[in-house]
Amino acid sequence: MDSISQADVIQILKMVEASHMDELHLEMGDLKLTVKRSAGLSPSSAQTPVKYTETPSATAPAAVEVAKKRETAPVDGPPMTGSREGLTAIRASMLGTFYRSPKPGDPPFVEVGQTVTAEDTVCIIEVMKLFSSIKAGLEGRIAEVCVQDGELVEFDQTLFWVEETDQGKVSGEVKSV
Amino acid sequence: MKRISRVFIANRGEIAVRIIRACREIGIETVLAVSQADRESLPAKMADRSICIGPPPAAQSYLKIDTLITAALGTGADAIHPGYGFLAEQPRFPEACARHNLIFIGPRAENIHQMGDKLVARQVAAAVGIPMIPGSEQIDTPRDALQAAETIGYPVLLKASAGGGGKGMKIVPGPSEMPRIFNEASAEARSAFGDERLYMEKLIANARHIEVQVMGDAQGNAVHLFERDCSLQRRYQKLVEEAPSTAVTPETREHVCQAALAIARHIHYENAGTVEFILDRDQNRFYFLEMNTRIQVEHPVTEMVTGTDLVREQFRIAAGHPLSFKQGDIRLKGHAIECRINAESPQRGFMPSPGLLTRWEPPSGDGIRIDSHCFPGYFVPPFYDSLLAKIITTGRDRSEAIGRMKGALDRFFVEGLETNIPFHSMIMTRADYLRGNINTRWVENLLAEEQIENENHSIC
Repeated sequence: MDSISQADVIQILKMVEASHMDELHLEMGDLKLTVKRSAGLSPSSAQTPVKYTETPSATAPAAVEVAKKRETAPVDGPPMTGSREGLTAIRASMLGTFYRSPKPGDPPFVEVGQTVTAEDTVCIIEVMKLFSSIKAGLEGRIAEVCVQDGELVEFDQTLFWVEETDQGKVSGEVKSV
Repeated sequence: MKRISRVFIANRGEIAVRIIRACREIGIETVLAVSQADRESLPAKMADRSICIGPPPAAQSYLKIDTLITAALGTGADAIHPGYGFLAEQPRFPEACARHNLIFIGPRAENIHQMGDKLVARQVAAAVGIPMIPGSEQIDTPRDALQAAETIGYPVLLKASAGGGGKGMKIVPGPSEMPRIFNEASAEARSAFGDERLYMEKLIANARHIEVQVMGDAQGNAVHLFERDCSLQRRYQKLVEEAPSTAVTPETREHVCQAALAIARHIHYENAGTVEFILDRDQNRFYFLEMNTRIQVEHPVTEMVTGTDLVREQFRIAAGHPLSFKQGDIRLKGHAIECRINAESPQRGFMPSPGLLTRWEPPSGDGIRIDSHCFPGYFVPPFYDSLLAKIITTGRDRSEAIGRMKGALDRFFVEGLETNIPFHSMIMTRADYLRGNINTRWVENLLAEEQIENENHSIC
């Protein structure tokens, strides 16, 4: 192979997307290709398992402000850069049941409009009684909550859309709890 | 009777396609578990719904019991089909299904436990009086291995107690190689199965691999569906399978089939299973090898010569129905051969060859069946096994089946990645194969010969 077509590039992108690589450098003769996965969105980086003492009911009306529900998870996952109309996605790092609040009846971890830092917990995903806190993994303002409380989410499904903080732009705001 | 209306398929590739086809015929809805790499696979398009369970590596997707159960419950499935490989023979999987009122389309966990531990399986076979290859109990150290090998006689075969698929299996030609090979085999067993226990068997040099398909139901009925001959293997990976076997006389056939049935009955086996035997061609004796508690890759050859649908039958049995056929209803008709088409390069030591299928034109015609999940433009991911398709040809007799296989291989056009199609074509023309004069080492001997020929050729 001495040349590289658009189709080849698409295949390379697919392989990178499906792998754990963060960066790929390819050099063939005069051609140089560099593929970089955007930081902060690594799906496995933002989870810490926690054990619940109380089992939340799947029908608990904990969700207060549920934004427009997406019909089903997209079959063709959005690109890993995840940027849409200036928004960035927080994605499910595992398949499981999505909970917006620490326990039934409690207020949600985050509401639309709220600012979050990378370390803030935005929801819990449960896989067979194992509850994992999902962290925002980025800094910004929650623009949309995409999933209803108690819903099954797929791996990599978009959970929230976030308006990412431009350096300095939103830094004056105080995070509400 | 339990009702199965929606099944969750915890597998991928051609077997997922096979299961979906069976479900369509019997009116069962399908939900397919897909890893991120399989989102746009053919079974994902065919299933009524697919759900992404995790990233591409199987350990983070197809092997995660909790995730699969959560996905099955969350999508309203009432049953799970494990396919083959992955979790099909992990007793924890049917156990988890049972805890959540999901029907497992396969044997009871207890059966998987018994036969999955090769040492326990040998005890079961011994209990029903089936001959076994001279061998040892569990061996813990190279020193014990040396002692056992003295009793059994070299060459010997070291095998993983939790093994299967040839992993953790090594030939030891003599005592000087024992310490090194013992450590290699136990390391391989540990990494493949998380269980480093080994045992030893005498190596049978001129052997045929004969296996018997069995099926049992919850009512206690059990039948056999005759044998398959899977002697053409490379590194214990089956390449070509056929039914019936050319190496089995009617008397031996009766004996092995009854032996397989005896094991199935002894453990009250439910669903589809396969009892494997080694036929020593020099002694004309057969020995119990192991039992596989799943539907197997090569099940289509049995379907073709017995006129049954084994996957469909799996669903019937799992729902609590009795077997739809009795022993007397099952008759052998004609001959069937299966070639496993893999994405691998025979020229480069059968290296896996994943990539984009720029051309995919499988053959069709009388007596040709193709079980595959591939299509033009499909990207064969590097994360899983290399099986692309199974060609199954049938004929009134073996030579007709071989003739059809030759033609099918010639008309199978694949571009974009390397396959073992040329290698299969070569096998189909070999006089030894045509005469049925082969054994389990034949393919490797053939490869060694070819290598010598090539080297001589390059010197000239």
